Amino acid sequence: MTEIIRLLSRFITGNRVWKSVFRAESPVTERGQSESIFHNVWLHIYPVKVRKDALRFTYTFCLGGVSFLLFLLLIITGVPLMFYYVPSVEQAYGSMKDLEFVVSYGLLLRNMHRWAAHAMVITVFLHMARVFYTGSYKSPREFNWVVGVFLLALTLGLSFTGYLLPWDQLAFWAITVGTSIASYVPWLGPSFKYVLIGGNEVGQGALLRFYVLHTVVLPLAAVLMMAAHFWRIRKDGGISKPL
Amino acid sequence: MPKEVEGEYEVFPDNPHKTYGLMAVVKGKSPVVDKSPEDTVMTWPHLLIRELVASVVVMAVLLAISLVLNAPLEEHANLTETPNPAKAPWYFLGLQELVHYSALIGGVIIPGLSLFLLAALPYLDRTPDRAPSKRKLLTVVFTVFIIVNVVLIVIGSYFRGPGWSFIVPWRGGSVQ
Ligand code: HEM
Repeated sequence: MTEIIRLLSRFITGNRVWKSVFRAESPVTERGQSESIFHNVWLHIYPVKVRKDALRFTYTFCLGGVSFLLFLLLIITGVPLMFYYVPSVEQAYGSMKDLEFVVSYGLLLRNMHRWAAHAMVITVFLHMARVFYTGSYKSPREFNWVVGVFLLALTLGLSFTGYLLPWDQLAFWAITVGTSIASYVPWLGPSFKYVLIGGNEVGQGALLRFYVLHTVVLPLAAVLMMAAHFWRIRKDGGISKPL
Repeated sequence: MPKEVEGEYEVFPDNPHKTYGLMAVVKGKSPVVDKSPEDTVMTWPHLLIRELVASVVVMAVLLAISLVLNAPLEEHANLTETPNPAKAPWYFLGLQELVHYSALIGGVIIPGLSLFLLAALPYLDRTPDRAPSKRKLLTVVFTVFIIVNVVLIVIGSYFRGPGWSFIVPWRGGSVQ
């Protein structure tokens, strides 16, 4: 069996085309395996070798990685949703109905985006708990914890801004309640709320602002923070040792 | 290609692809802290295969859930028809619950302070011990923090009815 796999991978990876794409020798030798990582722009954030105990599922439960995967899936499902969605109070709700009844797989797309978003809030929270209980925020990883707290805030912000977009009763009143909490902050609160929703009440101004925050500003900020997060993991010597 | 003889390994093979030269061999620790060659494995395939498998599992679960469970969509937004109670998204229901007790203390001071303490945690806890058993107080505080969060969210989600009154969902209370 292993011999078949070996032959197969040689066939797929041992030719000129593979080499020209990946700039790497066939990854059947350790040299090829190293090159596959560090000659690849997407993979070179990984070290070529990792500690064996870092692979243990019951140490990380893959929670950080799953959070990242969910984020990628949210982008992948979010872009086609943007093709159909119009951020205007007249048309937003209609876009939701179109997705449900007109667009092929539109409802599935929306479902996946919605459930992935909820799941991401949960996995990020659990990831934080894992990092706490394993004491992985200690030197030299203090600052990566702080980056993580920003990521948690961004995750909640992304979820919250997306919540308004369907423009149904659930969305409208949840955001009305949520943003009114912001106005309780003394002195700054009311103006913060005014700027956030572009007026005194949730309306067209709020919908457009939330749309721009949800589809441009916050995802971009999250990507930048994640880049910093992963870079720091690498620089801090990989993930912490299991206890 | 390094030629592998049983039990023997040519460390610096004469290789035409080599783009570096060996300047000197010095004694010292490997630059990768706490790692020795013996307890490491190649990222490809060992780590990446695992991540691939985990990704496929997560995607399959997400797809399955999305096939059977539809995202909620209520009536068109209506400014004149306030639902009672109007609820924030579930992850902010703990906050809404606190606001119900006190707008300033519950809505601003407690969450603000918690967030600040959370971000400052690595700078406040300066002991080098990582095991929870060696930092019992902090572990208890953090666990209480998590439990309180979850309990408040559950109360906000299921036990709050019209006018934010306390309801019992299995006795005819409506669930958001
Ligand atoms: C969008 C959110 C986040 C993503 C995508 C993310 C991703 C990751 C990944 C992939 C890892 C590698 C180890 C693992 O999977 O557990 C990691 C480690 C880490 N994360 Fe996050 N993370 C996020 C949020 C957070 C939060 C909220 C915190 C803490 C407040 C945090 C703190 C850390 C720390 C300190 C490490 C190093 C852990 C160690 O060395 O054992 N991250 N993160």
